[in-house]
Amino acid sequence: MDFLLRSPTRPGGIEPAPSEKGTGVDYATAWARRYPVRLARAMILDDLTVPAVQALARPHILGRDALERLDGPVIVTANHASHLDTAVLLAALPASRRHRTVVAAAADYFFDRHWKSVLSAFWLGAIPMERLKVNRRSAEVAASLIEEGWSLVIFPEGGRSPDGWGQEFKGGAAYLAKRCGVPVVPVHLRGTRAVLPKSSRGRPVRLRPGRVEVRFGHPMRPSQGEDARRFSARLEAAVAVLADEAETDWWSARLRASRDETPAIRGPETSPWRRAWELAESADPARRRRRTGSRHEGRTDWEASPPPRWPRNGH
Amino acid sequence: MSPRPGFVLEVDRSTPPTLFWHGEGFHLERLPVGSRVIYPPEPLPALTDPDAAIADALEHPLGDTPPLRALLRGGMKLTIAFDDVSLPLPPMRAPDVRQRVIEAVLDLAAEAGVDDVVLVAALALHRRMTDDELRHALGERIFNAFAPHDLLTQHDAEDPDNLVHLGLTDEGEDVELNRRAVESDLLVYVNINLVAMDGGHKSVATGLSSYKSLRHHHNVRTMEHSRSFMDRHHSELHTSNWRMGKLIAEAGVKVFQIETTLNSNTFPEQFGFLQHREWEWTWKDRAGFAASSKALERTPPELARRIFHSIRSPHQLTSVQAGEVGPVHDRTLEHVHRQQLVTVEGQTDVLTMGLPFISPYNVNSIMNPILVACLGLGYFFNLYRGRPLVREGGVVIMSHPTPWAFHPVHHPSYVDFFEQVLSETTDLHEIEAKYENAFATDPWYVHLYRTSYAYHGVHPFYMWYWCAHALSHVSKVIVVGGDRAAVRRLGFSPATTLADALEMAEDVVGRDPSITHLHAPPLLIADVQ
Amino acid sequence: MRALVFERQLARFAASRVAADLAGSGRGVAVGPLELGEIEAPDLPGAGFVRVAPRLAGICGSDLATLDGRSSRYFEHIVSFPFIPGHEIVGDVEGGALDGQRVVVEPVLGCEARGLAPPCPACAAGNRGRCERIAFGRLAPGLQTGYCTDTGGGWSQSLVAHESQLHPVPDRFSDEAAVMIEPTACAVHAAFQGSAGGRRVLVLGAGTLGLCTIAALRQYSLPGVLVAVAKHPEQRRLARELGADHVVEPAEIVRAARRLTGSLALTGRGGALERVTGGMDVVFDCVGSADSLAGALSVVRPGGEIVLVGMPGPVKVDLAPLWQREVMLKGAYAYGTEETPSGPASTFDLARDLVDACDLGQLVSARYPLERYEEAIGHAAAAGRRGGVKIVFDLRRRPRRGRGVGTDDKETP
Repeated sequence: MDFLLRSPTRPGGIEPAPSEKGTGVDYATAWARRYPVRLARAMILDDLTVPAVQALARPHILGRDALERLDGPVIVTANHASHLDTAVLLAALPASRRHRTVVAAAADYFFDRHWKSVLSAFWLGAIPMERLKVNRRSAEVAASLIEEGWSLVIFPEGGRSPDGWGQEFKGGAAYLAKRCGVPVVPVHLRGTRAVLPKSSRGRPVRLRPGRVEVRFGHPMRPSQGEDARRFSARLEAAVAVLADEAETDWWSARLRASRDETPAIRGPETSPWRRAWELAESADPARRRRRTGSRHEGRTDWEASPPPRWPRNGH
Repeated sequence: MSPRPGFVLEVDRSTPPTLFWHGEGFHLERLPVGSRVIYPPEPLPALTDPDAAIADALEHPLGDTPPLRALLRGGMKLTIAFDDVSLPLPPMRAPDVRQRVIEAVLDLAAEAGVDDVVLVAALALHRRMTDDELRHALGERIFNAFAPHDLLTQHDAEDPDNLVHLGLTDEGEDVELNRRAVESDLLVYVNINLVAMDGGHKSVATGLSSYKSLRHHHNVRTMEHSRSFMDRHHSELHTSNWRMGKLIAEAGVKVFQIETTLNSNTFPEQFGFLQHREWEWTWKDRAGFAASSKALERTPPELARRIFHSIRSPHQLTSVQAGEVGPVHDRTLEHVHRQQLVTVEGQTDVLTMGLPFISPYNVNSIMNPILVACLGLGYFFNLYRGRPLVREGGVVIMSHPTPWAFHPVHHPSYVDFFEQVLSETTDLHEIEAKYENAFATDPWYVHLYRTSYAYHGVHPFYMWYWCAHALSHVSKVIVVGGDRAAVRRLGFSPATTLADALEMAEDVVGRDPSITHLHAPPLLIADVQ
Repeated sequence: MRALVFERQLARFAASRVAADLAGSGRGVAVGPLELGEIEAPDLPGAGFVRVAPRLAGICGSDLATLDGRSSRYFEHIVSFPFIPGHEIVGDVEGGALDGQRVVVEPVLGCEARGLAPPCPACAAGNRGRCERIAFGRLAPGLQTGYCTDTGGGWSQSLVAHESQLHPVPDRFSDEAAVMIEPTACAVHAAFQGSAGGRRVLVLGAGTLGLCTIAALRQYSLPGVLVAVAKHPEQRRLARELGADHVVEPAEIVRAARRLTGSLALTGRGGALERVTGGMDVVFDCVGSADSLAGALSVVRPGGEIVLVGMPGPVKVDLAPLWQREVMLKGAYAYGTEETPSGPASTFDLARDLVDACDLGQLVSARYPLERYEEAIGHAAAAGRRGGVKIVFDLRRRPRRGRGVGTDDKETP
């Protein structure tokens, strides 16, 4: 009778049947787009996620009208520096579109365990995506969803930035846009890393409420004969212009873009501390002012440097 | 109104009671008529634009050195060392001076394209700083730019791989320094000169050195011959450091010293009464005193400690000078003296002092009995120039609760020093000869110093040596309101009230002694004529 | 004769246990199975036995455990009821070859006293403490005088003892010094049980046994470093006087062991030390409680030794460290023959010399007549706290003032 009360043990030499619960790219997320689940997700998004984002990050949203003028599915691409990005971006989308959007999420991070897969699919409407290469299966899933009318949020950098600077855009978004013939909306997110940084070297991460900016750019389509790689580079450049705009102003950014002088979002290729320094420089407007106020023009010989504007102390 | 200088008050019948610090609290005490009270000068005005002043100092260095900008070039190795958590006291409101100065240095380094930059907290044998403390001292930007890449380091005096022996001074003193600092093309030291002891060659020669090197000037003989160690020209401690500084320069270590001085604006608004003169207390001051001393009576010590250690001082920058160590430090001392010097006529039989909740070695920690002794007999006793405030054979009366309590993480060797060493003897020479080596080389203390947040095993000995001059000079030390057992263990006499303590003092110095009260903090230096 | 008798009464055992738990050790006497009465002196059980009239009889820690109802059920088969407690005895011999002499009784009732020939191997080798036959022979079961119904015990006016149990005391010894010989012999035996020579040694507990162990170690084992753990100021003073290099408070044990051995340590929350990774070579546990044993395990080095000197009861102790650190746990009971550098010697002789050398008579702090036994036992249970060490019953016909050095006479009427 004992046998009936416990789960049976497996005789030696018998191979276990393959588990049907796939994880990673193989995880099937169709259940998460069925009507009752969508309803539940919409409620959670609107009543929990969006207010939380409002409280935590007070997003300042610019240029959303470009998106509001569009009908039908789009691909939204943004730079990626924090786990907060997805929530901020979803919160920034117009409500009608928010409820019909899926998020491409790293298969090896969000779908590595069964419970994580369920949670990601349910809460964010995530679909598993290979980080580094275009995986046939995940591309198929994404393409068919776009064709069904779903919009797709994707972070083409393939993961959160290790130091806050942008990384190279992978080709997935461009490939999907070309294949499905839908427009891509470049977006720049600023300040999410300050609210919720990526943990470094096991240091505990602290949530620090702050203010983020979400800048939507103009929708873009691949031009005639443009391959996915070129289009991807163009998307990256578009995000870089938005980033420049966030630092300066729209006009200066445009001018610089036209002169091909937009600073790369990938940052200068120098030592880690200088990359971090440059980044912090731009993140703190007060600091920028302070510094320009005391900076001496040019790098002349020290004896020839201009007289101090501030009286020497102790005389 | 320009700040008034410090002065000496003679107590008469209409003098209001005098404020005495008492650890995490304070008392008002009536001093006998005829006693003297030394008040520090009022806080000097702050620099109106500290960032511009810093930029200017870097651009126009003192001594024989080009401006920092000209010393920086791409491809060089730059190390920036800075004073640790022991300065300033209490910790200052953000932004900390170190943050301002180092940001300015880094801006120049970034402009010059210096890729190889490392920051070093000049701990000597102090405990390591926590991430929060580093964040506070350096600011979020610097921390975030350097810490994740392991470029924000803390000096480790027990890491043989990262120390270099530079040689011996003329007097045969070992000079062993932080390897990174020695091997850099430029070492920038960012200092805060809260008291006259800090800075100069002591910054590098002590802050970045090892036990092997420190023991040459952190010992009983040196401390007995540093009279006082707040007066560098009469301090054996400094003379030794200066010899080492000379050797360091000769060894080719290029030091660009940046020293800063702060005004004595030590306590925030709500504690204004702590730095106002009692007869000028406004109703706010009186209410503040009444409310806080009432509240503190009912506050458990643990909580009171936490409240006091959360005080952020409104210290402001009064000067910044950069360049060659010698000229920079001379200028710095002028500024420190401008803020702290008070002329006092003659010595006294009995010196009284109220000891506050904080000393350089218990920031965010517990002021254990050894630190009480060190603050009173080491720091406060030595706040003089010329002759000690108290006459030879006189009495020092200190007010502090002196709890028998130790911070288990920060002060592990202190507990053992107190339990084992002081229970056997309080004699400096005996302690040094019999116990110092065992504590200094104990692998457990070394482990905690390197990996946890513990002061080095030998550190309590230094605290005790710090008292050397005072212990050989005065004939009795009385602690008012302290834990009796702990006070006895220190070899001092406990007293319940100040009146009792003065009675006890009369047994030593005779009837109707002259009494002087050191009204600090805010800190002052008595120029005893 | 007048005697304190311990009856086998389970209800009163339980009552004393409860009282001791609630009010503290020694408080259970009033409700416990001990009673003062007039009884017949025991008969001489056979040849070689003589009468001894006790002068002083000590109150031992094991007596207190019995009175508190805390002693182990292990002893059920090796004691016999009713018995008269008291095994630390100095008295006068009545009859036999030693008639009229002052003697100390060696209480273990081995083969010789029990009339068993040939003796068991342990007795034959002179290790009477390890006798295999303490429940057999012409005497009722009983490991020692003071636990055997046939011999009587020290807390009375008369007992019987075999001549082999008697050790004459030189005249220069005070009664107080003489009564200390038996507990000192336990300590000397313990010192020889541990291999303490030249090593780092910790003695836990500074009652009679602890202090005597310190003295014995200092005298016979020559330890490298001798650390004593003592709670009360008088104990600390005595520990230092008797030869401890360092005396630490119970709360400081781990810190002290770490410091003195230069060991590393493992810390708990907030930086408090929990146990040392190295530690002391030998620990003498002169308390015998769960706490003391756990304490010993936390400071003994891997491969070290713990000698259990104090009498333990059933204790709950985590033995994981014993296993992982390959610690040797060893008992030390009673006495026998010790291997000294100058050949085998009787433990009692060594103890006698030690009492003489260290003036251990000073440890006798108070004397009580039998009538005030409740008070006496209460005092013994709180001896450390009240600044005392050894409490004894005074059975001399009239109080002899001035024979003890440093003893407290106010307790005698």
